Amino acid sequence: MKKNLPFLIIILLLTAGILFALTAGQFHIRLDTLLDLLILKLSGKTPGEEIATQAMVLWSVRLPRVLMAILAGSALSVSGVVFQGIMRNPLVAPSFLGVTHGAVFGASIAIIFFSTAAFSIEVSAFLWAIAAVAAVYLIGGRGINTLTTLVIAGVIVSTFFQAAGSLLKYIADPYEQLPTIVFWMMGGMNNIIWNHVIRASAIISAGVTVIYLLRWKLNLMALGDEEALSMGVNVKYLRAILMLFATLLAAASSSSCGIIMWVDLIVAHISRAIVGADHKRLIPFSALLGGFFLLMTDTIVRSIPGGEIPISIITSFIGAPLLGYLLMKQKKQWRE
Amino acid sequence: MIEHEILNVENLNFSYSDRRILNRISFSVKRGEICGLLGPNGCGKTTLLKCINRILDIESGIIRINGRDISNLSRSEIAGLIAVVPQELHVAFSFSVIQMVLMGGTVRYGFSGIPGRKDYTLACEILEELNIDHLASRRYNELSGGEKQIVLIARALFQRSEIMLLDEPTSHLDFKRQHLIMEMIKKITKERGLTTLITLHDPNTAGRYCNRLTMLNRGCVCHHGSRDNIFHAESLESTYDMKINIEQTESGRSVVYPAFELNKK
Repeated sequence: MKKNLPFLIIILLLTAGILFALTAGQFHIRLDTLLDLLILKLSGKTPGEEIATQAMVLWSVRLPRVLMAILAGSALSVSGVVFQGIMRNPLVAPSFLGVTHGAVFGASIAIIFFSTAAFSIEVSAFLWAIAAVAAVYLIGGRGINTLTTLVIAGVIVSTFFQAAGSLLKYIADPYEQLPTIVFWMMGGMNNIIWNHVIRASAIISAGVTVIYLLRWKLNLMALGDEEALSMGVNVKYLRAILMLFATLLAAASSSSCGIIMWVDLIVAHISRAIVGADHKRLIPFSALLGGFFLLMTDTIVRSIPGGEIPISIITSFIGAPLLGYLLMKQKKQWRE
Repeated sequence: MIEHEILNVENLNFSYSDRRILNRISFSVKRGEICGLLGPNGCGKTTLLKCINRILDIESGIIRINGRDISNLSRSEIAGLIAVVPQELHVAFSFSVIQMVLMGGTVRYGFSGIPGRKDYTLACEILEELNIDHLASRRYNELSGGEKQIVLIARALFQRSEIMLLDEPTSHLDFKRQHLIMEMIKKITKERGLTTLITLHDPNTAGRYCNRLTMLNRGCVCHHGSRDNIFHAESLESTYDMKINIEQTESGRSVVYPAFELNKK
């Protein structure tokens, strides 16, 4: 029971968080109205005129947004867990390895040169995210001190894609293309519709399932390549699969919500501290915690009076000091 | 190849970029033996272990286990034949001791790739056998150097391979623990019918626990044979490029110590 307590707590928090997020916001929906709307929906009845607006806000705007926040938070966190595991490094995460910036660059290319169709944007985002992480791995994965070189390689690749993204912004059509690109760079969930949720949920659930099936071998990868090889793991093949699916998760989140920094690194880190290093527990726990964290963050950004602010501002305000605190607390472990 | 030879290395060459590290290495180890690899720093002991385990791809030569060329074996087949105990293992994320041991059995976990209840029981039995069952739920990173080494040996045993490769397993341990670990290795090699290949720095430890020795110098095998045949001052002098004295104790053991006249070549 004690072992499963963290799961029980996070499930309760997530349930409470969903109820809170569905009711809170600039347009408040009372809890009893929410329950009425839910009952009406389940019984297939049409809501009366007095709650028709609330019904429209709930089913068309708020619920898809809430689900997308949970999905994106889960995807980013699991992706962070996988990258940290295969690189044996608690400081790496897709948003710091250039994956996110690569994805945004890919999306911008698709917006400018191909079409603004969601499919072409997502495919381009995914391919460029893969290219970014491959570049980071090639540059930084072979040094003597891989912990430092990977982080530096991540900074290099992120900076490169940021610069390339800025160049694309410069040449983009200011009326048609630029607003879409800027949305991607700022990150946020104000444009989420059911289509995004359906597509993202299919990709994210497939990605998380594959990663969860490989959980034991991911444990071995976290010990090091030579260790994993000695115990019979085909390291190159497994790493390629894991990186592919972890990038897919990060790209699936980015293609709907744009750049969201810090969630991957921080949630993976905190989850590891709470449930330990075994990926059997770490993957589901980080998915739940990541979903809860991003849901709460998104609820804050859309509830602040005076208009919505980009979500990365809040995640960075929470993430940066938290990482600083963890760094001071765990100096010894990270030196190794 | 002689029938009871389990490991046979023939004309093995290995280079890092253009630098030849191992040069025409040939030796063999019989089933049930503890073979010590001796030699100065940088002579290629650890590289040789990595070549035998196919962590490194050799340039030329043949490594046979039970007569089978390992270059034709898959990664999991090699893991079924060879288990490795590294010199020191730094783990970025701390797993529990029981998980570390269970990882050794990965090649047996079938399609799901996950250890079952039976595997947990077997892993616990090995911890009991090595007297570390009280550490089962402890974090690996929190253990002392000696405890970590026993956990890695337990993991190698759980891998149930016929050959165990150990890379300087006692180099970070105090005098007492060095000998506790070596006694343990000797005991499990005998009881489980394993074959052990172990790199060591101290010729006295090698002389005490190994029944076969392979001495390396500058990437070549300079002496190979049973301990009784090659454990003498001349072979050790040519291996370490220094003057060495060997004395017999009253109990008949040979004790090696430097003559403090470093060979100038």
